[in-house]
Amino acid sequence: MAESEPTSEKKAVKQDKLIQLIVFRLGDEEYGIRIEQVKEVTVTPEIARMPKTPSFVKGIANLRGDIIAIIDLEERFKLRPANESLPSLSYTLAIEAKDYTIGIVVREVPQPLSVPISIIEKTPEFIQDINIQDKYIEGIAKVDGRIIIVLDMPKLLSPTEIMQLQPK
Amino acid sequence: MKSREEEYREIFMAEALEYYDAMSRHISELEKDPGDEKALHELFRLMHNLKANARAMGFNAIGEVAHRMETIFGLIRSKERTFSGSMVPVLFDGIDTIGSLIRGLDQEDEITTDPEQLLENLDLLVQGEEPILEGEDKNADEDATRKLELSDLVYIQIKKLDHLLNLVGELIIDRDRILTLSQEIGNPALQAAASHLFRIADDLQYSVMDARLVNVGSLFNKFPRVVRDVAVAEKKEVELTINGQDIQIDRNILQIITDALLHLVRNAIGHGLETPEERQRAGKPERGSLTLSAQTERDDVLIQVIDDGKGIDVEQVRRKAVERGLVSAEASRTLDTNAVRAFLFEPGFSMAKEVTDISGRGVGLDVVKLAIDSLGGQLRVDSILGQGTTFTLVLPTSIAVKGALLFELEERSYAIPLMHTDSVVSLQPKQLHVVGGILMARLLGENIPVVDLRKLLHNGDSPLAPALKAELVGRQDIIIVNYNNRKLGLIVDRFLRQQDIVIKPMSKPLDMIDLFGGVTLLGSGQVCLVIDVPALTRLFLARRP
Repeated sequence: MAESEPTSEKKAVKQDKLIQLIVFRLGDEEYGIRIEQVKEVTVTPEIARMPKTPSFVKGIANLRGDIIAIIDLEERFKLRPANESLPSLSYTLAIEAKDYTIGIVVREVPQPLSVPISIIEKTPEFIQDINIQDKYIEGIAKVDGRIIIVLDMPKLLSPTEIMQLQPK
Repeated sequence: MKSREEEYREIFMAEALEYYDAMSRHISELEKDPGDEKALHELFRLMHNLKANARAMGFNAIGEVAHRMETIFGLIRSKERTFSGSMVPVLFDGIDTIGSLIRGLDQEDEITTDPEQLLENLDLLVQGEEPILEGEDKNADEDATRKLELSDLVYIQIKKLDHLLNLVGELIIDRDRILTLSQEIGNPALQAAASHLFRIADDLQYSVMDARLVNVGSLFNKFPRVVRDVAVAEKKEVELTINGQDIQIDRNILQIITDALLHLVRNAIGHGLETPEERQRAGKPERGSLTLSAQTERDDVLIQVIDDGKGIDVEQVRRKAVERGLVSAEASRTLDTNAVRAFLFEPGFSMAKEVTDISGRGVGLDVVKLAIDSLGGQLRVDSILGQGTTFTLVLPTSIAVKGALLFELEERSYAIPLMHTDSVVSLQPKQLHVVGGILMARLLGENIPVVDLRKLLHNGDSPLAPALKAELVGRQDIIIVNYNNRKLGLIVDRFLRQQDIVIKPMSKPLDMIDLFGGVTLLGSGQVCLVIDVPALTRLFLARRP
């Protein structure tokens, strides 16, 4: 084993570099985030609603002593009918943004998935939200008939974008 | 506890030994390459600093050696001498002597190195004469017995201490939780263990807080120079008095108030103190007096900037406030002096008639106010026209723990720092009156506006609907908060208790919402938002009907 492993790895590198994604569902689509951007996945802890924040900010929660903001991307990007709410048991992906951690609620347990980097196709220009300056969709991966939208979280989660707030 | 002098000596030694290590390194570099200007420059600089520090501490032997060495390195630098020949062993010997003199400082009974021979040799070198070198044997002997020593002090990045304090904060929260649980479960062994944990965690917390304390003097001592420069630029004569340098305060608090204090001192010289001629005419001594003082008051540290200048003209402030549209001319007449002085802390409010280099650029006392607010402190101003002004900064000793009042609103717990809480009252609806759409309570002869906190926190940023007495049912629990001499009553659902809390700063990106000063975790594990009273007061002013 010990001998064969490096060679097979080398082969993989030669063929194509693999990247690991954490895949989750928002609305009807599947989304992926590079694993190095995900700090941890956990059952959503108790959330304290915070007054004076937009409604897609679910509030703040205590994640192992870190107090982080928890946001609902389905609500932020209107991927879910307005009258439907989150299930009582949900999961939270703690994402490492540039200089803070933020939690994203998802309905189902996120799954890891390895894909070769070459299958991630660049997104057509017009799909990008023109209101958001940074291109936060890294690309689209087609895996066994599934379509996974790969997000570049640090770009998506810049404080002004995600909070729809003006800096102080 | 060690005495202050002992502590200073240890700090000096640690620093000096560090210099010594660096000197040893640089002189070896210089020996290898006598043209190494960087090493030479460093040696000169280190000698200079060591000389200054040693003389300030009264360690004259070290000061003398360093002084002569500095002179010689200066001569080498200006190419009047070259680092060669008999000079080399003398300079090496000089650095070794400095090393053993420094180490000798904490061994009072042992005979320390006598630098007389060395001083003579150094003097000879300065004069350009040959030094008297002793036999090599002695040196070889010394080298064989040379000991390597490590310093007793460690330098530590404040970041690491911050991290440590955060961890202790976590521990305190968990400790409270365990204590709560142990009382619920009621197992005696568990209770004993929990109360032991309580004591240890308490000790740990105070030890970590203690490790972060520095003397106020470390900031105050930078002011003589600042005062001199500002006084020269403003053509004023200033006598600076500094008191209470020994008062200890958290290093980060001192860091945060640095700019505020600088601002107040500049203001005092620029606007407070008069020119020598004006002072003479007013029958005051020509030299203005400026005092920086620190003292402790209960758990707080009071820092004062006192001048004996012309004082604040309340009537002028009143006029200016009306001009700026901060208050109507009619309302301004009824305000007392304290309320009028509070305008000084409004953003952009400057009393300067002319713009000078030092102050009066429209950056006003609001900057000072904001810095103090961010610490949960208070800023007060007292002034007697013609006699002087005193600014008082009331600061917490430590950032970590603050007394807070816990209350409930819509089934969630919130905390308000006690620093900004005036009192709590329970009133019946008939004790409240609606004046101009705002609820008013009359307490101890004062009219205090009261607002339903629930309404203030919700419904966007639009103005509040005028208050209706009919909406009030039953007893109202009201917290009276006090900020900048303005009182405001907040109707909450229920008072919970008073408690010391550890405030964690709001993490990004939520720190953009300034309404909350941070969060704390309760013994139950629940996240509790800490209300920022200054921001809440501003919100009320912006939304009042």
